[in-house]
Amino acid sequence: MESMIHDMAERLFRDHVHHRLRADAAAGQCPETLWTRIEEAGLHMALVPEEAGGFGVPAAEALGLVRVAGAHGLPLPLAETLIANAVLAGAGLALPRGRLTIAEDAALRLERRGGALHASGHLAMVPFARWADRIVTIAALDGVNHVLSLPVKDLTVTPAQDLAGMPRDDVAVDLALTDADAAPAYRSMGGMRGLGALVRSLATAGALETILRMSVEYANDRVQFGRPIGKFQSIQQYLATMAGETAAARAAAEMAAGSYDTAAFALTVAAAKSRSGEAAQTVGALAHQIHGAIGYTEEHALHHFTKRIWSWQDEFGTELDWNRELGRAALSSPHDTFWHFITDSTAQGVLT
Amino acid sequence: MTLTAFPPPPSGADHNDLRQEVRAFLAEELADFSPEKRAKSWNGFSRDFSRKLAQRGWVGMTFPEEYGGHARSALERYVVSEELLAAGAPVIAHWIADRQSGPLILAKGTEEQKRAIVPRIAAGELCFCIGMSEPDCGSDLAATRTVATEVEGGFRVNGTKVWTTYAHVADYMILFCRTGKSDDRHGGMSQLLVDLKATKNIQISPIIDMAGEHHFNQVIFDDTFLPSDALLGEKGEGWSQVMSELAFERSGPERFLSSFALIEELIRLLRQDATEAQQAEIGRLSAHLMVLRQMSRSVAGMLNVGKNPALQAAIVKDLGALFEQDIPRLARSLISRPAVPGGRDSYAAVLAYTELAVPSFSLRGGTREILRGIIARGLGLR
Repeated sequence: MESMIHDMAERLFRDHVHHRLRADAAAGQCPETLWTRIEEAGLHMALVPEEAGGFGVPAAEALGLVRVAGAHGLPLPLAETLIANAVLAGAGLALPRGRLTIAEDAALRLERRGGALHASGHLAMVPFARWADRIVTIAALDGVNHVLSLPVKDLTVTPAQDLAGMPRDDVAVDLALTDADAAPAYRSMGGMRGLGALVRSLATAGALETILRMSVEYANDRVQFGRPIGKFQSIQQYLATMAGETAAARAAAEMAAGSYDTAAFALTVAAAKSRSGEAAQTVGALAHQIHGAIGYTEEHALHHFTKRIWSWQDEFGTELDWNRELGRAALSSPHDTFWHFITDSTAQGVLT
Repeated sequence: MTLTAFPPPPSGADHNDLRQEVRAFLAEELADFSPEKRAKSWNGFSRDFSRKLAQRGWVGMTFPEEYGGHARSALERYVVSEELLAAGAPVIAHWIADRQSGPLILAKGTEEQKRAIVPRIAAGELCFCIGMSEPDCGSDLAATRTVATEVEGGFRVNGTKVWTTYAHVADYMILFCRTGKSDDRHGGMSQLLVDLKATKNIQISPIIDMAGEHHFNQVIFDDTFLPSDALLGEKGEGWSQVMSELAFERSGPERFLSSFALIEELIRLLRQDATEAQQAEIGRLSAHLMVLRQMSRSVAGMLNVGKNPALQAAIVKDLGALFEQDIPRLARSLISRPAVPGGRDSYAAVLAYTELAVPSFSLRGGTREILRGIIARGLGLR
């Protein structure tokens, strides 16, 4: 599938996302210039309708940008900003400029104090919070889910990070919201957790493709016993296994992206997060095995990718969480047979 | 990295009306099939069933109408295939002919061959077997020794084929053999269409598998005469013809649904009451199945637009075999109930049957090691 916006992103990231930039970001430095380039290209708006600033491409194609970013280990909240803008646009809220991020649903208490809405509570492991202008999340008010757009400058952010050194900050929330910052959610879509799981699955698929490519190149270049190690059948079998897992992760993530905004999303995203996470374990382990000691050094680029895929496994629902959810759905489904459940799980109904 | 890209199946690939029709047909036809009988699906042989299926237009679906086919898409065929396998229908009497022999004859055969054979495949009347493996050439197909020597009016064939599934009942074999010398290891090979019912000097003897069943055969060609018009496709092009068959052979739902009867039994027992750990395992199984199905349907979509997704098919088969071979282990980890061959308890009987079947899943149609070698080459390992 050829995509102009994927090509555009691919060129931008190939030219500007390199080992040094990833290392500096892991040391705490936000790559501001790169973000400006992303904004100039409009990539962060790809998932909103064309009239709101999007490209007018199908959602699955817009979401494909996250896979491309994952393939380059982009140390910026592009995926988060894409989702945040789409959720804000869906709720009819203003689309703010700048970097946005997302936080899991239902963590905050939302109430009316006098005439105004008030949000309070604690958000854990918020991606890139300290580099973001706003956090978008969902909280319930009188049983109705509301989309909240929280200005980071009014929140208390305590830095923390994931395995890859990317900001995953703790955020304390205690503020009054204006009408411009909260609105009823337009639909559940599995909430922020499902959307977060979707983008982590897509990013994992991209990172796995890069890890596979690096491993093939290394196996072709590294000579031991007088020949490239890629000539050894054991290494070839590892790489073939990695290719299968990578293909499965990508197919899983794209299956979920393809059912964005349909009734199938709740189950396909569970399958995507579970399957891509499992692939991350297998591919990461084999990539390090193939690369040997050099791949275990800070100097080598491999760890930027393997640390990311391992971190993403735990975000927006672990594999165990999603497996339980999918298993519960399978075991309690009203279908006569498990097979009927499986065929219906990917059937594309329109969400009402 | 195109090897790891499986384009989503085209929208509308669900073909829900067709699916419901097939389900209604199967509910009636298989009403008295026990779970154990369903577990044998792919190995179940019933000419009667295949003919009935064909009467509904569900054999030779993708073949052109002028050859008795129905000009439907590979994705519609896919819907029928997966419904048959998931329900445990006995399909082997038409399966190989429908999956690869018919498409091969349509692609490479003469007009006479197409007219004589393809309509009968579409009518569910012909069972085909595959004459590839030999005693000294299993994975290494280029080591084929069976020779067809040109003689007046045709070929004289000598050699032995083994592991030939259902040769003892099949009507035709597509024989892969040597028809000439070549410096290229893959040259000098051809495919011949063998009418097993009408040809003399072919000896077919059973090879009983470790489950005690008779699917395999040894087929000995002893100065067997085949007429010139048995040649299928170009002389000397056998290798490339076989390679193009493999995308059909390796990507279908039979590559991950072989243990499906056991999965249904397992879920039936867990439905009443499952712990969180059991739920999670069923969720993981569901995720794998949903994704395999997506990938397999993606390959059907690629076949439908005339691509040759041989590499993607190898990936589907490798992942599919891992999945279906793991089901007995998974079942044992979730339910403490011993396997009992032929037992009255259907779970125990299906577990026993499946346990004995799974070793073959990563051998047939290309071993795991061969598939991974193909994938590795596709990755550009020099």
